[in-house]
Amino acid sequence: MTRIKRDSIAYLVIAVFCLLMLAWGIPTYTPDYPGYGASPALVPNVAVGIMLFMACLSLLRIGVAVYLKKTIPAAESKFPEDMEEGAGFTQVGRVKLLHLASTMIPCVLLVVAIEHIAYIFVSFVFLMVFQYVIGNRKWGQSVLVSIILTAVLYIVMRYGFGVPVPGPQLF
Amino acid sequence: MEMIIAGLMDSLSPASLMFVFLGVAIGVLIGAIPGINGPMAIALFIPVTYYMSALTAIGFLVGLNKGAFFGGAVSAVLLRTPGTPEAAATSWDGYPLTQQGKGEKALRMALYSSVAGDFISTIVLIVIASPLAAVALFMGPAEIFALISLALTVIAGIGTSSIGRGLMAAGFGILIGLIGTEPVTALPRLTFEIYQFGSGLSLIPVAIGLLAFSEILLQLEKFTVKGGGKQTIHESSSKPEDRMLTFKEFFASGKTLLRGSMIGIGVGAMPGLGAPVASFMSYDQAMKRSKNREEFGKGSLEGIGASESANSAVVASSMIPLFVLGIPGNLAVAMLMGAFMIHGMQPGPLMFQENAQLMYGIYGSLIIASLFLLVIGRLGLRYFCKAVNIPAMILYPIVVFTCIMGAYLGKSSMFDVGVMLAFGFIGYFMRKFDYSYVAFLIGFILAPEWERALQQVVIISEYDTLMFFQRPVAMGLMALTIFVIVRTFLINIKKKPVEVAAAAAGQHKAD
Repeated sequence: MTRIKRDSIAYLVIAVFCLLMLAWGIPTYTPDYPGYGASPALVPNVAVGIMLFMACLSLLRIGVAVYLKKTIPAAESKFPEDMEEGAGFTQVGRVKLLHLASTMIPCVLLVVAIEHIAYIFVSFVFLMVFQYVIGNRKWGQSVLVSIILTAVLYIVMRYGFGVPVPGPQLF
Repeated sequence: MEMIIAGLMDSLSPASLMFVFLGVAIGVLIGAIPGINGPMAIALFIPVTYYMSALTAIGFLVGLNKGAFFGGAVSAVLLRTPGTPEAAATSWDGYPLTQQGKGEKALRMALYSSVAGDFISTIVLIVIASPLAAVALFMGPAEIFALISLALTVIAGIGTSSIGRGLMAAGFGILIGLIGTEPVTALPRLTFEIYQFGSGLSLIPVAIGLLAFSEILLQLEKFTVKGGGKQTIHESSSKPEDRMLTFKEFFASGKTLLRGSMIGIGVGAMPGLGAPVASFMSYDQAMKRSKNREEFGKGSLEGIGASESANSAVVASSMIPLFVLGIPGNLAVAMLMGAFMIHGMQPGPLMFQENAQLMYGIYGSLIIASLFLLVIGRLGLRYFCKAVNIPAMILYPIVVFTCIMGAYLGKSSMFDVGVMLAFGFIGYFMRKFDYSYVAFLIGFILAPEWERALQQVVIISEYDTLMFFQRPVAMGLMALTIFVIVRTFLINIKKKPVEVAAAAAGQHKAD
């Protein structure tokens, strides 16, 4: 997928989201006008309106450029990771869904599990899994990092701030 | 006068001194680690400040930010891996010196230049913020509304190559910032029947997700795709003249440091420009005016001084718009604004009336942080150099787990951890698709204030839509807002669509 196609899809998604908010989200979940001041829906509508206007304008601009054949050929439109090293500080680039899923899923599972299973056990397992996902195959190091980090944060939260750790504490 | 003395005495209390010291030390350590910058460090440590007094918390965070700015120079000089964009210009001359075995000398120059720039800027902040705030008190809701509109427009251009995408991000930030209780009716708005949304989304999980977690997602991507490896640091020369910096060498760059500091102060005081602009501008001016122009890029101490004095001067001066107008000019200050709000204060000109003692306490902490930076940097330089080589395999799990527990710490709620993960996910896509997360975050923070000003305008004017025409300052600010939008559009519309995206690769804009 070229960058111009990807940007167009992003603008379309934003436009659809805005239309959905204007037609359903804001009217349904905003209090009625109380009779004084500005309507509670005014600022949300303005914010969404700005997004919708910009998305439509960007789509229109791409459409006109494509129609007039004024875009750069796809082959010349490189992603930064395809360019030479040190192209800049931007992080624009291809989305790596597999990587994203492999990093996010353990975190989401931690959030779900920690309220039902003991903090210490879940945190230890999470840190082991996470280190495996990012490629750490040194088991001794993994175990050490997991134990130390779990213990340090437990002590800091429990005794430093007096905040109970999430879920059952030990078992 | 009593207020000033009381405030300064507060800043000299043992707890305040200890946390400012800790803030600077942790900031330098964190800044030295490639990939972790000041705003990210502030986001990670804001939850900890819940349990501190307001002065201690702000002193700690300011120290953290000051320390991180200098820390960024450590990896830039030793590894040519600037952890932050503003340290890039430092690496141009710092790394060649490291290759010559003079890395320690380069770091000393960076440290003293940072402290000089930071100190001058702090003094300027102290001298001008209070009188300017007194003038700003004459501004009414119409001017505040117009000013926030202008700030959002200017800030929309930060961290993206397209102001259009920046405005979309700011609009999205405003929308998310409006979730919660509507101020006039006191009824829930945009809560989608999720009861935890009733009190609105907290800044902490949103900021940690957008700044820290999404950054780690991206860094892990490069790490796992390209393969992580330990970088080697060039050996330092054992000759004292290669390691130490003499007074003569430092003061030879005196004019450059002063010019750099002034550029940093000017750039920092203007919302939306940020430290990288100051750093590059100062380096450019130093090169043009130097007698030893040919040494720039090959290991010039003057080049390091130009870059570091300018970017460090931005730290204190960027608080001028915050204290005078209540508007954050960059991401680090937006995070500080959040910290003020967490401690029950609304940054702006009224702070000098309502919390005068605290303000002078903060001034005291700012000066103390500069002095601590000098001491900590001088004594701990060799130890901080070791931080650049912390293995990523150990660093990333620590940061990710700290993000999760930091989000939990604020309200002891796992819901906030879910919010943090959601905004980490959103932040990942925003960065990949070139939507400014900076504009989003500032829109999120300013949304309630923007709406409050609008409500006041509507109520005071009794629905007179021509009210802005009766307020010349507000009208001027609104006209400027429209001018900024139209001008940027006209510039952008001349570029080819893909060219706009490709230009992002070469941009040196950031937080």
